[in-house]
Amino acid sequence: MAEVDIRKLNTWFKDNHVLKDLSLTIKENAVTAVMGPSGCGKTTLIRAINRMNEIISGSRTTGEVYINGINIYDENTNVYELRRKVGMVFQRPNPFPKSVFENVAFGPKIHKMANGKEIDKIVERSLKEAALWEEIKDRLNDSAFSLSGGQQQRLCIARALAVEPEVVLMDEPCSALDPTATTKIEALIREIGEKYTVIIVTHNLQQAARVSDFTAFLYVGKLVEYGDTKSVFENPKSELTEKYITGEFG
Amino acid sequence: MSRIIDVGLEELTAMLHRMGELTYDAISVSINGCLHNTNVYTRVHEMSDMLVSMADDVEDKVFELIARFQPVASDLRTIKSYMKIAYDFARYGRYALDISYINERLGGLKECEEWILKYIDEMSEKVLSMVRTSIYSLRSHNTELAKTVSKTEQEVDEMYFEFLDRLIEKAHIASKCTISSVLIIRYLERIADHAAYICESVIYLATGQKIILR
Repeated sequence: MAEVDIRKLNTWFKDNHVLKDLSLTIKENAVTAVMGPSGCGKTTLIRAINRMNEIISGSRTTGEVYINGINIYDENTNVYELRRKVGMVFQRPNPFPKSVFENVAFGPKIHKMANGKEIDKIVERSLKEAALWEEIKDRLNDSAFSLSGGQQQRLCIARALAVEPEVVLMDEPCSALDPTATTKIEALIREIGEKYTVIIVTHNLQQAARVSDFTAFLYVGKLVEYGDTKSVFENPKSELTEKYITGEFG
Repeated sequence: MSRIIDVGLEELTAMLHRMGELTYDAISVSINGCLHNTNVYTRVHEMSDMLVSMADDVEDKVFELIARFQPVASDLRTIKSYMKIAYDFARYGRYALDISYINERLGGLKECEEWILKYIDEMSEKVLSMVRTSIYSLRSHNTELAKTVSKTEQEVDEMYFEFLDRLIEKAHIASKCTISSVLIIRYLERIADHAAYICESVIYLATGQKIILR
């Protein structure tokens, strides 16, 4: 759990200025949804929180992002450790070509967090936190690819939780899932949001309304509105937000 | 390009406007019936039943729009307010029916002194003006107009209590008149409250602000 304080963040991909002077404080132990039309910078914003943008050639970032008071763009930051603290779940489930157990155990092993029976406990805890344990506790040695799409996505969430992150980033985690699997993931997001700082990018406005405590609306790389989800969806302050969420544009 | 939800919202708006017209007629007819000692109970009964049925239709439409479009922001405020207003309109109808029943059951204001008829006439005018304001402000989403009911609502409240005081002072008044007039005055006061509720809903749907006008 950690507060994420973003200050005057700018990101370019070559000449394309994607994030423009964006400042935002994301509250700890809550779910914050980031919404906005395609190309507004949602994904770039969350990838800036674990410095994933810099693996793209031609990217450049200025500004500061503080997690628990420490600027992750400081030159002394250990990016490897940062990405343990800030886990990420992607649009499509992307389990490793390994067993269910090994997928979850992989992170704690390479971070040397535990070994032997302690690893078993971490795997069980993580799978329980991801609401998957009861379904697959007898299939831990099966290939992760033998699971359904929804189970694979929950496995990826368990994998992210196994390394005890402080922040969990989710980039449209339900976009490749059917309604039943989506319902389970949404319930899971609500649950883990009580313990972790969760930031979710979604194109699905109703999903943002359902799962988040706070909502940020981005437009052409700028933060237009940020507030508690009830207020943003019932009585938005900005006319631009009103038009976007009522479907007048986007 | 208009949105699909707009068709449903327009239907809902038209339903509310029809209810508004009918409520005004129902209240005017019932008050006139009482003041001029005419039996309008059956007519107002039909109107009141129709308003209840229309309020049900509004509620069904609201639920359909929620289920199909998951409205947010001004759309959400509009349909939430419309459902409340439809209920308020149905209550207008119910109080109109109650007023007309007094004539039917108790003989109305026949035995009353002139000052009571004048008093009720004056209070009715104020209440009808509030009803008109609630209907017009809803039609135009005019929040400034909606706010004006606050003052009249206060005046109606004061008239209500003043009337009770005067009746107590003049205890010799025939009991049929006492009961009839007190009930009528009470129903008028309730109609005025619902006019204020409607105007509060109009302000909420237009601005998102929750203001008390009572």
